[in-house]
Amino acid sequence: MSAYPSNLWSIPLLVVIPILVAVVVNLVYNRVRLIKVISILSAVCLALIALFSSYGYHWFTGLPALRPETLTFTFDPSFPAWRLALEFYFGPLQQVMIFVMSLILIFVVAVASGGLTKRQGPYMGMIFLLFASAVIIIMVNDLYHLWIAVEIGSLVVAGVVVGSGTSVSHKAALKYTFFSALSGAGLAIALALILGLTGYSNISDAIRYLQSVNLGDMSIILYVAFAFFVLSWIYAGGLAPIHPLKSEVYGASFPHGTAMLQTQSKLMLVAIGIVMLRIFGTLPFVREVMLAISVITMMLGVVMALIQTDFRWILAYLIISHSGLVTVGISLGTTEGLVGGIFQAVNDVIYMTVLLLCCEALYYFGGKTSTRNSLGLAKKAPWLGMAVILGTMAASGIPPFNGFQSELILIQAALKVGLPEVAAVILMVSVTTFIALFRAVYRLFLKPPETSETVTEVKVPRALYIGLWFFVAMTLIIGVYPTIVVSFITPVAQAVSIPWYL
Amino acid sequence: MDPSELRGKRGIIAVIALLIIGVGLFSSLEKLAGNVSPGISRIYNILAYLVAPNNIATWVYDWRGFDTLIETAVIYVGAVVSALVIGRGVVQMKHYSEEAPATSPPLEYRTESLTVILRFLGLPAAILLFSYGIMVVTASSTSGGGGFQCGVIMTSAYLLAAIFYGKDNPIRFGKRFLIGIGAVGLGGYTLLGLPGFLTSGYWQYNVGADIWNIVSPTLHSIFGDPFRLSLYLQEGIFYSTPGIIPLINIAEAFNVVGAIGLIYFAFLYGWSEPAEDQEKGGK
Repeated sequence: MSAYPSNLWSIPLLVVIPILVAVVVNLVYNRVRLIKVISILSAVCLALIALFSSYGYHWFTGLPALRPETLTFTFDPSFPAWRLALEFYFGPLQQVMIFVMSLILIFVVAVASGGLTKRQGPYMGMIFLLFASAVIIIMVNDLYHLWIAVEIGSLVVAGVVVGSGTSVSHKAALKYTFFSALSGAGLAIALALILGLTGYSNISDAIRYLQSVNLGDMSIILYVAFAFFVLSWIYAGGLAPIHPLKSEVYGASFPHGTAMLQTQSKLMLVAIGIVMLRIFGTLPFVREVMLAISVITMMLGVVMALIQTDFRWILAYLIISHSGLVTVGISLGTTEGLVGGIFQAVNDVIYMTVLLLCCEALYYFGGKTSTRNSLGLAKKAPWLGMAVILGTMAASGIPPFNGFQSELILIQAALKVGLPEVAAVILMVSVTTFIALFRAVYRLFLKPPETSETVTEVKVPRALYIGLWFFVAMTLIIGVYPTIVVSFITPVAQAVSIPWYL
Repeated sequence: MDPSELRGKRGIIAVIALLIIGVGLFSSLEKLAGNVSPGISRIYNILAYLVAPNNIATWVYDWRGFDTLIETAVIYVGAVVSALVIGRGVVQMKHYSEEAPATSPPLEYRTESLTVILRFLGLPAAILLFSYGIMVVTASSTSGGGGFQCGVIMTSAYLLAAIFYGKDNPIRFGKRFLIGIGAVGLGGYTLLGLPGFLTSGYWQYNVGADIWNIVSPTLHSIFGDPFRLSLYLQEGIFYSTPGIIPLINIAEAFNVVGAIGLIYFAFLYGWSEPAEDQEKGGK
């Protein structure tokens, strides 16, 4: 028998609990206290499940697999057999990604339920569905289900943005939804082509089939499928040339909503990127295309961040730029590249959450986020000032914070495959991130106010401060002990990696 | 989008991109013609008769039943997003520089322009449509996807009545009622996975059909017997049961009625909430 079961208990719970919470909070609609209790308890529960679960598979609807050599059915996932059921997998990589996301979820719902006025049920429901969509994409090993999860994820993104309730957020959400139709259709075409070619929607089975036959001139179908897959990847992560749409989505949402949106987006980039590597990674030019898109995204994002004059929009473009950092590593496809890319995704969502929570705190001090204002907030709220500076250092890749460790691995990975140009761009992104962020931090937090206009201070929710310092501590701990995370990533990176020169 | 934006360089790029996509896609389809690999569908087809007599029902609600749950959730999410769009500003954050909530006035109705015949036939037509929806979902054990069709038919009856009678719609679905119906549907569908999970460890295992013999006979009977079918064939009489598939279809119907009904409601009647102070002060 396999060490891994085919009915791991935790997998359905990680998907079903957020769906049920979304339904319940939507039903109770405006009962603020009840929504708060349900949301926070459920988020804690999800984090605990992710933390304590063992590893294994879940074959939804309990269908077995067919062993082709003996034509017998088996419920043991260790045999190479055609899966009849919809397969999810929970391993070390899934564990670390889902655990970090559920930690962010806890503080996002705590901050949201404190800050939102009545009728927050539908909005909170969207936050949980956002979590569910990302969890599915991270764990699923099935092309058809991947498509559905990307579809629902796109729609939920629109819901979270629309929930922010301004005309800007409406425009951003509608534009994003319009393009989601194209991207969703693209992914559907990609999976239809792969399904037609192989007959299997299970990703491992489809890959096994592709390795067992000589495609000949049918390999063009794989290239076309790859092109449509890339479209969806670009869209899900807001990579160039879709970056203006996604940055609008980030900039137009409540900052705590953006924390959840960027987490979903980056973890989706990792999960879809790994699927693309597994299916298309050995085809010529595939990784070069992915790498080109990643490098362009990094550069465009950081340049756009430099010219912004609002803290929210600076963060929005930096999130885009750092998505490029994540995908650079995945595009390289080597063990070091994959470790660097995935580690960067985990680090990125943590330090960006710090900065976004700082941005949220600004609303409790009058709501001015434009860097044209000098607020001198560090004097009024020294802990907030300190947190934003530490978050800036982490995002800029300054040691001993977590960003430094992952960017170092990425630079080494690029140099190892003989791409010093890519290493130079990563370095440039780090430096420019510091300039873009510190300019805003100086104006908003450090520079004394130029006018006598006083900043109205309202009590900042305790959950926001706790969250802020919790994630600051995480940036530091992971920065000093990177193996805490890297040890979870390395086995997967080794299993999926492909040498750069084939 | 203004079509004039597609003139010049942008238009040329768009046309070239479209041509490349078109050529790539059609050449792929041409290569696939006659070469589609049956793959897993062969095994599905061999086994499908063991559950529902209709293969599609077995595929959609049993083999790939969890896929269908998430697809159902897409409809639900679409409805909530529509409500949030129409009722912009309903959700607000303290201290956030909000814009005033958008007012979404309901559509104007001119029911007086309806002919007398239409006005008097509207209600019976809506009732007939409703009844037809119920008939479709109750026959779902032998047809694929009766739940979705039922929901669409029922919401068509709601829309029809709204067109005929405007604000005096005799089918009085309030927004809270529709949210509740949708919640019962999506929540019910989700929870139908629980019996299989608790007894076999597999979420949404069809305990009523139990074709792999992994649950107790009692549970098999509870979920299987109410929907047992006898198939009279030349070879003899065969018995099968779709198990939880009809229940899933009923839940699906609730979800679709709630979700699509909510979309119609929001667009027809608008979405507004009393001010906070008004709510606190009572009526």
